[in-house]
Amino acid sequence: MVIDFSPFFGQQTPLDRIFEAFWSPSMSISQRPYAYPPVNISEDQENITVRCELPGMDISEIDLTLTESSLVVKGERQPAKGKYYRQERPTGAFQRVVNIHSPIDRERVTAKMKDGLLEVVIPKSESSKPKKISIDIA
Amino acid sequence: MIEETRTEEKGLPRAKPATDIVETADGFYIYMDIPGVSKESLIIDLNEDEIKVSGRTAYPSPDGEKLIHVEFGNGEYYRGFTLSHIVDKARIKANVKNGVLELHLPKAEKAQPRKIDIQMG
Repeated sequence: MVIDFSPFFGQQTPLDRIFEAFWSPSMSISQRPYAYPPVNISEDQENITVRCELPGMDISEIDLTLTESSLVVKGERQPAKGKYYRQERPTGAFQRVVNIHSPIDRERVTAKMKDGLLEVVIPKSESSKPKKISIDIA
Repeated sequence: MIEETRTEEKGLPRAKPATDIVETADGFYIYMDIPGVSKESLIIDLNEDEIKVSGRTAYPSPDGEKLIHVEFGNGEYYRGFTLSHIVDKARIKANVKNGVLELHLPKAEKAQPRKIDIQMG
Protein backbone atom coordinates (compact mmCIF):
# COMPACT_ATOMS: atom_id res chain seq x y z
CA MET A 1 0.00 0.00 0.00
CA VAL A 2 1.50 3.26 -1.07
CA ILE A 3 -0.01 6.57 -0.12
CA ASP A 4 1.60 9.77 -1.20
CA PHE A 5 -0.36 12.79 -0.21
CA SER A 6 1.71 15.47 -1.77
CA PRO A 7 3.70 14.59 -4.84
CA PHE A 8 3.90 18.28 -5.71
CA PHE A 9 5.64 19.51 -2.61
CA GLY A 10 7.32 16.39 -1.32
CA GLN A 11 10.67 16.56 0.34
CA GLN A 12 12.39 15.24 -2.74
CA THR A 13 13.87 18.00 -4.78
CA PRO A 14 15.55 17.24 -8.10
CA LEU A 15 18.87 17.75 -6.32
CA ASP A 16 18.03 15.03 -3.80
CA ARG A 17 17.36 12.69 -6.66
CA ILE A 18 20.73 13.36 -8.21
CA PHE A 19 22.40 12.50 -4.92
CA GLU A 20 20.33 9.38 -4.59
CA ALA A 21 21.24 8.33 -8.10
CA PHE A 22 24.89 8.49 -7.06
CA TRP A 23 24.35 6.15 -4.16
CA SER A 24 22.29 3.62 -6.03
CA PRO A 25 24.25 0.76 -7.66
CA SER A 26 23.53 1.94 -11.18
CA MET A 27 21.96 4.96 -12.76
CA SER A 28 19.08 3.01 -14.24
CA ILE A 29 15.55 4.26 -13.69
CA SER A 30 14.29 1.00 -12.24
CA GLN A 31 15.76 1.79 -8.83
CA ARG A 32 13.64 4.86 -8.33
CA PRO A 33 12.63 5.25 -4.74
CA TYR A 34 9.52 7.21 -5.59
CA ALA A 35 5.95 6.55 -4.67
CA TYR A 36 3.91 4.17 -6.76
CA PRO A 37 2.76 4.69 -9.47
CA PRO A 38 5.23 7.09 -11.07
CA VAL A 39 3.56 10.25 -12.30
CA ASN A 40 4.51 12.90 -14.83
CA ILE A 41 2.68 16.19 -14.75
CA SER A 42 2.83 18.77 -17.48
CA GLU A 43 0.79 21.75 -18.55
CA ASP A 44 0.25 23.95 -21.53
CA GLN A 45 -2.06 26.86 -22.28
CA GLU A 46 -5.17 24.72 -22.42
CA ASN A 47 -4.67 21.62 -20.29
CA ILE A 48 -2.95 20.01 -17.38
CA THR A 49 -1.81 16.52 -18.37
CA VAL A 50 -1.12 13.80 -15.83
CA ARG A 51 0.64 10.71 -17.12
CA CYS A 52 1.03 7.60 -15.07
CA GLU A 53 2.84 4.30 -15.65
CA LEU A 54 0.41 1.52 -14.74
CA PRO A 55 1.39 -1.70 -16.50
CA GLY A 56 -0.98 -4.62 -16.34
CA MET A 57 -4.02 -2.57 -15.48
CA ASP A 58 -7.08 -2.11 -17.62
CA ILE A 59 -8.64 1.34 -17.65
CA SER A 60 -11.80 -0.15 -16.16
CA GLU A 61 -9.84 -1.35 -13.11
CA ILE A 62 -8.47 2.09 -12.34
CA ASP A 63 -10.46 4.31 -10.04
CA LEU A 64 -10.02 7.96 -10.98
CA THR A 65 -11.55 10.51 -8.63
CA LEU A 66 -11.52 14.22 -9.19
CA THR A 67 -12.07 16.12 -5.98
CA GLU A 68 -12.16 19.85 -5.39
CA SER A 69 -8.42 20.35 -5.76
CA SER A 70 -6.91 16.98 -6.50
CA LEU A 71 -6.91 13.97 -8.78
CA VAL A 72 -6.79 10.59 -7.09
CA VAL A 73 -5.56 7.51 -8.95
CA LYS A 74 -6.52 4.33 -7.15
CA GLY A 75 -6.47 0.66 -7.95
CA GLU A 76 -5.22 -2.75 -7.07
CA ARG A 77 -2.75 -4.93 -8.90
CA GLN A 78 -3.60 -8.60 -8.74
CA PRO A 79 -0.88 -11.20 -8.44
CA ALA A 80 -0.78 -14.14 -10.83
CA LYS A 81 -1.84 -17.58 -9.60
CA GLY A 82 0.78 -20.25 -9.29
CA LYS A 83 4.07 -20.95 -7.61
CA TYR A 84 6.29 -17.89 -7.60
CA TYR A 85 9.99 -18.32 -8.31
CA ARG A 86 10.67 -14.63 -8.52
CA GLN A 87 8.51 -11.66 -7.75
CA GLU A 88 9.60 -8.15 -8.57
CA ARG A 89 6.42 -6.59 -9.84
CA PRO A 90 4.47 -4.79 -7.16
CA THR A 91 1.05 -6.11 -6.23
CA GLY A 92 -1.67 -4.83 -3.98
CA ALA A 93 -3.60 -1.63 -3.58
CA PHE A 94 -2.12 1.70 -4.52
CA GLN A 95 -3.23 5.27 -4.39
CA ARG A 96 -1.67 8.46 -5.57
CA VAL A 97 -2.96 11.97 -5.11
CA VAL A 98 -2.07 14.79 -7.45
CA ASN A 99 -2.86 18.25 -6.15
CA ILE A 100 -4.17 20.75 -8.63
CA HIS A 101 -3.92 24.37 -7.72
CA SER A 102 -5.76 25.99 -10.57
CA PRO A 103 -9.38 26.20 -11.61
CA ILE A 104 -10.28 23.34 -13.93
CA ASP A 105 -13.12 22.43 -16.22
CA ARG A 106 -14.38 19.33 -14.44
CA GLU A 107 -16.86 18.35 -17.12
CA ARG A 108 -14.30 17.92 -19.90
CA VAL A 109 -11.69 15.75 -18.16
CA THR A 110 -10.66 12.80 -20.31
CA ALA A 111 -8.59 9.71 -19.57
CA LYS A 112 -7.12 7.15 -21.89
CA MET A 113 -4.74 4.26 -21.59
CA LYS A 114 -2.23 2.77 -24.00
CA ASP A 115 0.55 0.22 -23.38
CA GLY A 116 0.28 0.68 -19.64
CA LEU A 117 0.45 4.46 -19.76
CA LEU A 118 -2.50 6.30 -18.30
CA GLU A 119 -3.03 9.81 -19.59
CA VAL A 120 -5.49 12.15 -17.90
CA VAL A 121 -6.11 15.46 -19.61
CA ILE A 122 -7.63 18.11 -17.37
CA PRO A 123 -8.70 21.22 -19.24
CA LYS A 124 -8.21 24.48 -17.45
CA SER A 125 -11.29 26.57 -16.94
CA GLU A 126 -11.84 29.63 -19.08
CA SER A 127 -11.33 31.98 -16.17
CA SER A 128 -7.79 30.76 -15.49
CA LYS A 129 -6.52 31.25 -19.04
CA PRO A 130 -4.44 34.32 -19.68
CA LYS A 131 -6.40 37.01 -21.44
CA LYS A 132 -5.30 39.92 -23.52
CA ILE A 133 -6.82 43.19 -22.53
CA SER A 134 -6.57 45.96 -25.01
CA ILE A 135 -6.18 49.40 -23.58
CA ASP A 136 -7.43 52.28 -25.59
CA ILE A 137 -5.31 55.34 -25.32
CA ALA A 138 -7.49 58.32 -24.96
CA MET B 1 29.36 -4.58 -20.24
CA ILE B 2 30.17 -3.59 -23.79
CA GLU B 3 26.52 -3.31 -24.65
CA GLU B 4 25.84 -1.12 -21.67
CA THR B 5 28.32 1.57 -22.69
CA ARG B 6 26.96 1.49 -26.21
CA THR B 7 23.44 2.39 -25.13
CA GLU B 8 24.60 5.08 -22.77
CA GLU B 9 26.14 6.87 -25.70
CA LYS B 10 22.73 7.02 -27.30
CA GLY B 11 21.42 8.70 -24.20
CA LEU B 12 18.59 6.37 -23.27
CA PRO B 13 18.70 4.99 -19.75
CA ARG B 14 18.61 1.23 -19.67
CA ALA B 15 16.43 -0.49 -17.12
CA LYS B 16 15.77 -4.04 -16.09
CA PRO B 17 12.03 -4.53 -16.19
CA ALA B 18 10.41 -5.86 -13.03
CA THR B 19 9.76 -9.55 -13.67
CA ASP B 20 7.70 -12.30 -12.11
CA ILE B 21 8.36 -15.96 -12.80
CA VAL B 22 5.45 -18.23 -11.96
CA GLU B 23 5.03 -21.95 -12.35
CA THR B 24 1.59 -23.36 -13.02
CA ALA B 25 0.30 -26.74 -14.12
CA ASP B 26 0.80 -25.96 -17.83
CA GLY B 27 4.31 -24.59 -17.59
CA PHE B 28 6.11 -21.44 -16.60
CA TYR B 29 4.96 -17.88 -17.05
CA ILE B 30 7.25 -14.88 -17.14
CA TYR B 31 5.56 -11.54 -16.62
CA MET B 32 7.45 -8.35 -17.36
CA ASP B 33 6.36 -4.79 -16.71
CA ILE B 34 7.24 -2.83 -19.81
CA PRO B 35 4.94 0.20 -19.81
CA GLY B 36 5.21 2.37 -22.90
CA VAL B 37 6.66 -0.33 -25.15
CA SER B 38 4.45 -1.11 -28.12
CA LYS B 39 4.18 -4.56 -29.66
CA GLU B 40 6.15 -3.41 -32.71
CA SER B 41 9.18 -2.14 -30.82
CA LEU B 42 9.54 -5.21 -28.60
CA ILE B 43 12.25 -7.70 -29.54
CA ILE B 44 12.38 -11.20 -28.12
CA ASP B 45 15.40 -13.29 -29.08
CA LEU B 46 15.73 -16.97 -28.39
CA ASN B 47 19.21 -18.33 -28.83
CA GLU B 48 19.86 -21.87 -27.62
CA ASP B 49 18.99 -21.67 -23.92
CA GLU B 50 19.06 -17.91 -23.72
CA ILE B 51 15.99 -15.73 -24.09
CA LYS B 52 16.51 -11.99 -24.37
CA VAL B 53 13.84 -9.34 -24.22
CA SER B 54 14.47 -5.75 -25.20
CA GLY B 55 12.25 -2.85 -26.04
CA ARG B 56 12.18 0.89 -26.13
CA THR B 57 9.48 3.12 -24.79
CA ALA B 58 7.95 5.51 -27.26
CA TYR B 59 6.47 8.29 -25.21
CA PRO B 60 5.80 11.24 -27.44
CA SER B 61 7.75 14.30 -26.47
CA PRO B 62 5.16 16.78 -25.30
CA ASP B 63 5.25 19.74 -27.64
CA GLY B 64 4.72 23.09 -26.01
CA GLU B 65 3.97 21.48 -22.68
CA LYS B 66 5.79 22.65 -19.63
CA LEU B 67 6.92 19.76 -17.46
CA ILE B 68 6.04 20.36 -13.85
CA HIS B 69 6.86 17.07 -12.22
CA VAL B 70 8.76 14.21 -13.82
CA GLU B 71 9.26 10.71 -12.44
CA PHE B 72 9.68 8.62 -15.55
CA GLY B 73 10.78 9.07 -19.10
CA ASN B 74 11.85 7.24 -22.17
CA GLY B 75 14.14 4.33 -21.66
CA GLU B 76 15.21 0.98 -22.92
CA TYR B 77 14.21 -2.23 -21.22
CA TYR B 78 16.54 -5.16 -21.44
CA ARG B 79 16.59 -8.49 -19.70
CA GLY B 80 17.86 -11.97 -20.43
CA PHE B 81 17.03 -15.35 -18.96
CA THR B 82 18.48 -18.81 -19.24
CA LEU B 83 15.90 -21.47 -19.91
CA SER B 84 15.78 -24.80 -18.21
CA HIS B 85 15.91 -27.99 -20.27
CA ILE B 86 12.38 -28.93 -19.31
CA VAL B 87 11.00 -25.97 -21.29
CA ASP B 88 9.64 -26.83 -24.73
CA LYS B 89 11.34 -24.11 -26.77
CA ALA B 90 9.25 -24.71 -29.88
CA ARG B 91 6.01 -23.81 -28.13
CA ILE B 92 7.02 -20.61 -26.35
CA LYS B 93 4.34 -17.98 -26.70
CA ALA B 94 4.55 -14.24 -26.12
CA ASN B 95 1.69 -11.87 -25.51
CA VAL B 96 1.73 -8.14 -24.75
CA LYS B 97 -1.21 -6.50 -23.07
CA ASN B 98 -1.49 -3.20 -21.22
CA GLY B 99 2.26 -2.82 -20.97
CA VAL B 100 2.91 -6.29 -19.58
CA LEU B 101 4.73 -8.97 -21.54
CA GLU B 102 3.57 -12.48 -20.80
CA LEU B 103 5.86 -15.28 -21.90
CA HIS B 104 4.42 -18.74 -21.67
CA LEU B 105 7.05 -21.45 -21.48
CA PRO B 106 5.35 -24.83 -21.66
CA LYS B 107 7.07 -27.83 -20.17
CA ALA B 108 8.34 -30.43 -22.59
CA GLU B 109 6.27 -33.58 -22.87
CA LYS B 110 9.00 -35.73 -21.38
CA ALA B 111 9.10 -33.52 -18.30
CA GLN B 112 5.42 -34.05 -17.56
CA PRO B 113 4.75 -36.55 -14.84
CA ARG B 114 3.20 -39.71 -16.25
CA LYS B 115 2.09 -43.13 -15.20
CA ILE B 116 4.17 -46.07 -16.29
CA ASP B 117 2.29 -49.03 -17.60
CA ILE B 118 3.30 -52.33 -16.15
CA GLN B 119 3.48 -55.16 -18.59
CA MET B 120 2.77 -58.62 -17.49
CA GLY B 121 5.67 -60.94 -18.13
